[in-house]
Amino acid sequence: MNLFDALNGQLRVLLTSWLLFPFLAAFVAALLPRLGRPLVLLSSAATAIVACTSLLGAPPISLALLGDLGVTLRVDRLSGWFLLLNALLFAAVVLEGWLRAQFSARPMLLLVLQGGLSVSCVATDLVSLYVTLELVGISAFLLVVLPQRESTLWVSLRYLLVSNTAMSLYLVGAGLVYVQRESFQLGALNNLPFGAPQIFLLIGLFTKGGLFLAGLWLPRTHAEAPAEISALLSGVVVTGGIAPLLRLADIDAVLYGAIRWVGMASALLGVVYALNARDAKRLLAWSTLSQMGLVVLSPLSGGAMAFAHGLAKGALFLSARQFSTRSLQDWGSRAMAPLALGVLWVASLSIAGLPPLAGFAAKKQLEGSLPDPWSWLVLMVSVGTVAVYARLWTVGFQVKPHDPSESGPLLPQLLAFGVLLLPLCFGAEAIAPVRPLASSLLTTGLVFAAGLLLHAVLQTLRPLPLPMLERLDQLLGGAVLLGAGLLAAFAGGLA
Amino acid sequence: MTAVRLLELLLLLAALAGFLGLLLRRNLFLKVLAMDVLGSAVVALFVLFAARSGLRSPILQIPGEVASVADPIPQGVILTAIVIGLSIQALLLVVVTQLARLDPSLDADSFDQGSLG
Repeated sequence: MNLFDALNGQLRVLLTSWLLFPFLAAFVAALLPRLGRPLVLLSSAATAIVACTSLLGAPPISLALLGDLGVTLRVDRLSGWFLLLNALLFAAVVLEGWLRAQFSARPMLLLVLQGGLSVSCVATDLVSLYVTLELVGISAFLLVVLPQRESTLWVSLRYLLVSNTAMSLYLVGAGLVYVQRESFQLGALNNLPFGAPQIFLLIGLFTKGGLFLAGLWLPRTHAEAPAEISALLSGVVVTGGIAPLLRLADIDAVLYGAIRWVGMASALLGVVYALNARDAKRLLAWSTLSQMGLVVLSPLSGGAMAFAHGLAKGALFLSARQFSTRSLQDWGSRAMAPLALGVLWVASLSIAGLPPLAGFAAKKQLEGSLPDPWSWLVLMVSVGTVAVYARLWTVGFQVKPHDPSESGPLLPQLLAFGVLLLPLCFGAEAIAPVRPLASSLLTTGLVFAAGLLLHAVLQTLRPLPLPMLERLDQLLGGAVLLGAGLLAAFAGGLA
Repeated sequence: MTAVRLLELLLLLAALAGFLGLLLRRNLFLKVLAMDVLGSAVVALFVLFAARSGLRSPILQIPGEVASVADPIPQGVILTAIVIGLSIQALLLVVVTQLARLDPSLDADSFDQGSLG
């Protein structure tokens, strides 16, 4: 107890320097490119240490820099999950590309992105969130566009255009909150009558987090980016918008209601479109949209869900480099090398929620923290998720000697996938012990059976006649439509 | 107070005009410019919010004057947003010039068609 009081002063200095480190390191990496990758690893290690201390039960630390109207930060258990995910995923991406000749992720941008994401999950005031989310958006945009391929030019432009528009609206919301409450703190939203300010803020965060209609930019952007960038985008960049949403859900009950409805809609929409996808990377990306919906359903389990999903989806997108085809039509006739196939199975089974993987524990915690009709809906989404990944499980097994010219050197890959998959295999107990185990296992068995059945039925029905939702005007219109819908549903009901 | 309300309305209309331009214009260059209109309207809105308590900037205390000064907090906040808006605008225009090599008419629909394949 007293030790913490005594260390409090130093703790503040330590935390501030930890947050500043990636940005300073980015300057160094720009001047001395050879130091870039070691610096990313160093910054990941520092982030992992901070994350583990808060996950292992250290009391939450709140920092107010420059007084009440300045920057406020809070390092707690919720941010711990996001920070650990951030650290592991960046480390894995750098390790995986260590000896690779063409590695498209520039360490300088990786450092800025990592710093921005760290701040976005500990910041508790609207303006710091705005700045870091824009920073995350710009660095993610540059990571996608810099490999200079024609196909990525258009998707990256779309991404920055949509995200900046949404963040402009977010800023209007922040201004409106300030006018009413004279404060930019997230806490100022507590008991604020639901109306335009919250709608604008939510549109910004939903767009950043890739949720429902506001997140329709996500599938194509994540599918077109190079493998290691997709892994970062889908695993951890979306959580920049998700973490603040979970904080908001904790602050105000009406906001939580709105976030929960949109999360569930997103989960269902993502599953339906993933079931209909023709391209393996697009299937993974639609599944991200769906899983992010599940993450925001409950602030209690959101951190662990995002953690388990981020590691698994990062591993899947990293192994997507070794898919011999992206088309799902002739997926069953193809074969994959043992390492890539193992990664594919473990990661996708975790997302589908198979015990004893981490995804299972996170999903059980989510179901346990929701009231009844909601947990039934989550089970439905789980059935859909099993059917989605069953499409990837049809790929065959191929024994051949490892060929470094084709799939890259072996050792860095083993390290990278080890970093991602070991926590998935052994982290379930750390998330939450599953009780009662027997009935949970029974439900999981039924969900898997139903999912495989759905998969078999859908094989004959595909392609389903679903509307195309991803034109630029639909992305922008979707975000506004979502805002209008929320206004009609929630503001009207409470007036 | 009615003047402030009127200004607020005008700024919201400007933001709406920017958003509609973004949505309805087919040319990408005009879309990017429309986004800037939206951004500028938001900046002006913050300046207006800051002027609720007074107009003068709180830099110098004039002896004997009971000054009604502007609120410095929204003004400070929006400075950051202006810088961010400028850099994003610049990045977008670079990509638009690159895209102009693929399709000089810069028609958003044609890029959407192309990437849908």
